[in-house]
Amino acid sequence: MKTIIHDLGKEQNERLLAAADQVICADGRYAPCQGCFKCWTKHPAACEMKDALYQSCRILGTSEDLTIITENLYGGYSSPVKNLLDRSIGVSTPFSTYRGGEMHHTLRYGERNRLDVIAYGDITEAEKHTLKLMTERNAINMGFREHSISFCSDAEEAGGTASWKRPY
Amino acid sequence: MEKTVLINCSPKNKMSASGFIMRFAGLMVRGRKEYLHLRRPSDRPGILQALADADKVVFAVPLYVDGIPSHVLPFLQEMEGFCREKNLSMKVYVIANNGFIEGRQNEPLMQVMENFCGRAGLEWCGGIGIGGGVTLNVERIMLPVMFGLMILNMLLRGVQGEDILEPVRSFGTTIGTFLLLCCGIIAFTVRLTSHINKGTDAGKRYTRIMLPSFIFILFADIFFTIISVLQGGIFRGWFSRLKPDANCGIITTNNH
Repeated sequence: MKTIIHDLGKEQNERLLAAADQVICADGRYAPCQGCFKCWTKHPAACEMKDALYQSCRILGTSEDLTIITENLYGGYSSPVKNLLDRSIGVSTPFSTYRGGEMHHTLRYGERNRLDVIAYGDITEAEKHTLKLMTERNAINMGFREHSISFCSDAEEAGGTASWKRPY
Repeated sequence: MEKTVLINCSPKNKMSASGFIMRFAGLMVRGRKEYLHLRRPSDRPGILQALADADKVVFAVPLYVDGIPSHVLPFLQEMEGFCREKNLSMKVYVIANNGFIEGRQNEPLMQVMENFCGRAGLEWCGGIGIGGGVTLNVERIMLPVMFGLMILNMLLRGVQGEDILEPVRSFGTTIGTFLLLCCGIIAFTVRLTSHINKGTDAGKRYTRIMLPSFIFILFADIFFTIISVLQGGIFRGWFSRLKPDANCGIITTNNH
């Protein structure tokens, strides 16, 4: 299963479906994570807040390949995309282990194939450096065997880059 | 007199480890101080108003998925516009805290904050990245409990005519252990506040709770097991690969 998360607007869903099995448009209309950990301790893999993101971790967890299309924000994800990722920590369990020589949570859905991040917008060299680091760290944390980051000048190019890619 | 605004960026209303470390740092910051909490969009105008005449700002930020919590990002964008419009150039310090043991895991968050300063025309002055800061929450619950037990023990021993100083020595050992575990956090926070008071660049420094990582992991696992038993998650597919419901709302597929 390949999933694309993007912040390009719902009108881009159809176009992106050419390159994925499912598409999630992060539109930022959801409550942010409250840091309660109940998606680990009370009702595993489901958020305490019962809005449209309450099972987002299950969608991400069952995706062998994940592509994130995001506007650059200070070398990180846009607020809507980060909102979705923050609400999806149920992809892991509350238990901890070592991965890459560091402490990380064990993976509820096991290791997955690859994480591709496509960042668009005005991006400085320092921000590119941070985005590369962020992608690498996310791949370790979320359990992706491979990862990549690419940069596009605008949303149109980012949508095009993602839709060229064939499902793995 | 210089003004420092300290912003707790944790979404938690209570028991925020980041907020606790920020308050500890605030004790040593000289001059005018204002403590604020960024949890909701409605908090943003008040914080921007406080920043209008600030010389320094300290962000206390928990690490969420290798970065800044999503509710903080729109505020940073607003603050960027505000600072540009008002031509503000305050000094920015960061206290980052994460639930893993390695303080260095805060590095992407620190870089994002540095990039933010570059965009907003503010002076990036570094900060500290803390690993395992959540342990401080355990300590701040345990210490008053231990203190209460010490008083009770002293009273009982007094009644029985035994050495009443023994519980004091025992409590002293507990305090000593606490300080030893937190010595890195305390030392680096003192160092950071010294830079804040002088208005100098603190650089980026990483520290942690002084426990071997395998012991920290063991305690973390025990903690989450107890909480999961109490909240019932352990009986509801604790480690299961649960699949999304068919109508979970946000997905668009080829079948729609």
